[in-house]
Amino acid sequence: MTSAGIEIQGLTKRFTHRRGAVVEAIRHIDLTVAPGEFLAIVGPSGCGKSTLLHLVAGLEQPSGGAVRIGGEPPRELVRKHRLGVAFQDPALLPWLSVQSNLGLPFKLAAMPVDREKVTALIKLVGLKGFEHARPSQLSGGMRQRAAIARSLCLDPDVLLLDEPFGALDAVTRRRLNIELERIWRDRPITTLLVTHSVEEALFLSDRTIVMERPGAIAQVVQVPFLRPRTPDVLRLEEFHRLTDQITLWLEH
Amino acid sequence: MERAPNRPLANALYAALGLLAFFSLWEWIGKAGIVGPTLPAPTDVAKALMDPDTLPLLGSSCMYTLASAAKGLLFGASLATLLAVVIHLLPPLRPGLDRLAVLVNTTPPIAIGPILIVVFSRSQTPAVLAGIQVFFLFYVAASSGLAAASPALGRVMIGFGASPWKRLCYLDLPASLPHLASGLKAAVAASFLGAILGEWFGAPHGLGLVILNAMQNFQVQLMWAAVVVAAAMSLTAFLLAAGIEKIVLQRFGK
Repeated sequence: MTSAGIEIQGLTKRFTHRRGAVVEAIRHIDLTVAPGEFLAIVGPSGCGKSTLLHLVAGLEQPSGGAVRIGGEPPRELVRKHRLGVAFQDPALLPWLSVQSNLGLPFKLAAMPVDREKVTALIKLVGLKGFEHARPSQLSGGMRQRAAIARSLCLDPDVLLLDEPFGALDAVTRRRLNIELERIWRDRPITTLLVTHSVEEALFLSDRTIVMERPGAIAQVVQVPFLRPRTPDVLRLEEFHRLTDQITLWLEH
Repeated sequence: MERAPNRPLANALYAALGLLAFFSLWEWIGKAGIVGPTLPAPTDVAKALMDPDTLPLLGSSCMYTLASAAKGLLFGASLATLLAVVIHLLPPLRPGLDRLAVLVNTTPPIAIGPILIVVFSRSQTPAVLAGIQVFFLFYVAASSGLAAASPALGRVMIGFGASPWKRLCYLDLPASLPHLASGLKAAVAASFLGAILGEWFGAPHGLGLVILNAMQNFQVQLMWAAVVVAAAMSLTAFLLAAGIEKIVLQRFGK
């Protein structure tokens, strides 16, 4: 199956607090993500980037405007089990082995577990030999890798990654970035990545959007680096220039 | 609370010494008859317990009470868990059923005993009373257990398009097992309480009946022997449940 594009039109999300105060988390966002595009979203905390991702995942309902994935509301994509998600919390089921956790998306979709694919994904994210380990026996980075492998199990049309490496140290994070770039290169899936790290956004994405409070897109950056990207990209002058530029915007 | 230092041998020795002191004191009080004939010495209770005339009676009574308690535990726990699952899937029912469960729990069991005898029968009352005691404990355990899964796991379930039923089977039920195991630990003692109390309302057999009859006929040794049997049975069941809880926690805990 081919990846689906995402169209976001006039998207608005307001939260009403208990005391009646209304907070606008997303303010009229228009955004189109092409099929197979990797889009990164950076922004200061509280700018609504996670809310945007939750709206695309159908975890939240918009207050105004609409999200369409392949022409349909997110709910449809979710119902057909065509969405892959990985969040900051790897959220693996603690009582299941790595292998069984990767089998979960199949079971939730009432499909027979594709053992070969599970094995291949475990190998792809470098967890070979840990198939039968419980999440509690894995390091934080290994759990994140298992969660990313799980998000890829059903060959999703759209992949949503919310700070999947947020809790990791810089070295592990960089190594996982390189792995994710390689995984994604093998099968370009329409991907939205929310991250705090400008380097991560630039290394992985085709396009990086910078959000500002409250809930609006401030800048859009076309990322010029050719794929396959190697760690050499991180040392390019252009990479540093863009990093500095975006960091400057974020500090605004 | 400070935990006792981890010296198993010394701790076991202290425990043994404490028990020895306790029983020696009791033995002395009983033999000397300091508080009258109603507190027999432990050796006299043991003698009554091992008496070939009473041992079969205590054995069969014990089995009868055990069966009532087990029946009550099984039905009370099943019904409570089932109701908790239904409410979990149909949240609008929660406020009403929560109140019903509280009502069941706050009604003194001694007050509803006569009603149960009328509605059920004298022989069924122990099991029903045990079931009622177990019901509330399990209802609370199951309701909180089914809500125990972390929001992050819930988001993953939604993201992967899990139906409410699949979510229940793959997330909420397994996540509730540690709570259910803790509920079981609390419920076994409650089930014996309910069963023995139920037998006081005129059940044809059971330890409760033996205790009541022995009291009325002033068979003090027999009464104490029956109490010892009841305590030993309840303690054994409790330790068994604690063992189950430990295993479940290892497998399904965080």
